[in-house]
Amino acid sequence: MPSFVFWKAFDVKNYILILTTLASLTAAPLQASMVDEVLDDQILPGMQTLAEMSDDLAQTSQTACQAGDARLQNAFGAAFDAWIRVSHLRFGPTETNNRAFALSFWPDSRGKIPKTLAATLSREDTSLLPPEAFAQTSIAGRGFYALEYLLFDPVLTAEPETPFKCQLIQAVSQDIALTSAAIQADWEQTYANQMREADGRYSDESEVKQELFKSLNTGLQMLSDMRLGRPLGSFDAPRPKRAEAWRSGRSQHHIVLALQSLHPLAVALADGDQPLIDALDAAFEKPITRALRLDDPSLAGVADPAKRFRIEALQQEIRDLKLLVESDLGPSLGVQAGFNSLDGD
Amino acid sequence: MTSRRGFLAGLLASGLAPQASWADLGAPAFLSAARAPDGRYLLAGLSYQGDIRFTCPLPGRGHAAAAHPNRPEAIAFARRPGRFAEVIDCLSGATLAQLQPPASHHFYGHGCFTPDGKRLFTTENDFENSRGVIGVWQVGASYQRIGSFSSGGIGPHDLMLRQTDSSVALVVANGGIETHPDSGRAKLNIPDMRPNLSLLSLDGTMQDQMQLGSDLRMNSIRHLALAADGTIGFAMQWQGDQGSDLPIVGLYSPGNAPRLMAQEDPRLRHLNGYGGSLAFADQGRQIAVTSPRGGVVQVMNTGNGTIVNEHPLTDVCGLATTDKGLVASTGTGQLISIATGQARRLQSHGLAWDNHLIPLI
Repeated sequence: MPSFVFWKAFDVKNYILILTTLASLTAAPLQASMVDEVLDDQILPGMQTLAEMSDDLAQTSQTACQAGDARLQNAFGAAFDAWIRVSHLRFGPTETNNRAFALSFWPDSRGKIPKTLAATLSREDTSLLPPEAFAQTSIAGRGFYALEYLLFDPVLTAEPETPFKCQLIQAVSQDIALTSAAIQADWEQTYANQMREADGRYSDESEVKQELFKSLNTGLQMLSDMRLGRPLGSFDAPRPKRAEAWRSGRSQHHIVLALQSLHPLAVALADGDQPLIDALDAAFEKPITRALRLDDPSLAGVADPAKRFRIEALQQEIRDLKLLVESDLGPSLGVQAGFNSLDGD
Repeated sequence: MTSRRGFLAGLLASGLAPQASWADLGAPAFLSAARAPDGRYLLAGLSYQGDIRFTCPLPGRGHAAAAHPNRPEAIAFARRPGRFAEVIDCLSGATLAQLQPPASHHFYGHGCFTPDGKRLFTTENDFENSRGVIGVWQVGASYQRIGSFSSGGIGPHDLMLRQTDSSVALVVANGGIETHPDSGRAKLNIPDMRPNLSLLSLDGTMQDQMQLGSDLRMNSIRHLALAADGTIGFAMQWQGDQGSDLPIVGLYSPGNAPRLMAQEDPRLRHLNGYGGSLAFADQGRQIAVTSPRGGVVQVMNTGNGTIVNEHPLTDVCGLATTDKGLVASTGTGQLISIATGQARRLQSHGLAWDNHLIPLI
């Protein structure tokens, strides 16, 4: 199991840095429009980092394709981080050709990733590995979660390395790089402008803001219901093996990353409303601090009554945050609680 | 419009006019319940273009409606566990009658007429016996309850009348979920729920029943659509763990195994485990489903079960077939045309459209 002590230290510093930056940004009068700010400070740099880190992963796998190689694991970690930071932006370029699913098939409720990879590894069909052919294979065998399984699954990594497995790791890495590059290219070349112009795909600016709000809301829901809700299960039936990326011990880390990238989005959407920004800052700080201090990389603590309550408390803080976002931020962007979505019938 | 309506209503009252028809209301194409900005509830008639042809007040939040096949009368059902079902004269907006279910029953929100308009069937909860019931009403000058029979399961929700060359049957979506008005909308039997699709003759005899495999027993079968060839479309709502990969839409023709749509497509996740309404399009070659929870409409190919298109639409739920494609309605007041792969706004009204768009026969 790798150690993320270094990352955690980095996260705390990084978080303080972000808070400071946000404070200085909001103190000065805002020049750029909210949409420009989100695009130029968050989305476009985030997508660029994703493309760069994924490219680096593909390059690294060319010379380091053994599951246990620290260079490969580090490159994997950096690219996966970059994806998690933008994974709430599920519209437009990520949805073309199911690219987001090709990068991240999670949750995998039916265990399709292990099944698909076991079949691929036993067949050793190298004709499936070139990029065009690989892009046509099952989504469950592609992307970060498949690669995580190849690099960290305790059973698989106990087996001897084979040349085919090395080639498969290279193919998955290359495929991640191509998918990420396609997402970034669409953002740079067309989609960012469509959001700025707001007179085609989006009929006006309010629709653009609502799209951004929806990604914030979906990101928070993903945190409370999936990243935390799935492993928590119930008190009598906790499901630690449902935690996201538990094999690589990245579950806790992903919660921190997701909260840290949703925070500046929420602040930007508050559009200079200082009391609301203060409330959002406070509501993000609580779960971020708690998530950083959890000391439970794979969320195994869901099955330990002594640790479980802290994970439940984290989930509650994220739910409170989501309620604040819906009640105080949504209406200012023209988003009301769903008449039908909350009805259920 | 109002004066013409008043005039017609006056004629009717004076007995001078022949039988009124839906054409007197500008031939609305759909009915939908809605909430107005002041919090009041209403039933509206809509044209194919999304124009409001008429509105009638409702005593509380509605759900679906049933339109009389020729008389301009609609039954507006309460949202469950409501007990009202108002017979509304859509010409005058007047309530002609209020249907009362038996004391220990409540309506589930859907109903349908026979094609001759002489019978009305309603889905009901016999909550003291946790039994799904179909109420039978005789339609004449007034509405008279003449009986009831088992729905074939627990929690009947949508129902439709299916006519083929050889048979007539009520198709009932028994959602499988037990509720009791004492506990509001709380679900009382999730661990052992068992939804089904039942085909009943008009006297309540079971003709056919379809259940999905036990791995899908928590997938509540709730809403229906009928294709011209008699194929039954059904939409489900998952009651189990979130984040599971699940079919939400299926097709069933009696005598054949049910077919579940788009099972291998990860975009099914965009529905958040919840199908709100469904409708066939393109002469049965497509079936579409709305998900207000996912904020999306997905159009699927009935031939090969793939997702053809998806359209993100905030709080979308109502859906109906038109000659060109589909119309969808949203809780944000929009009416959207979906045809040839494109979603296009028809109208935006200051009303929150409620769950269903009911096509007029």
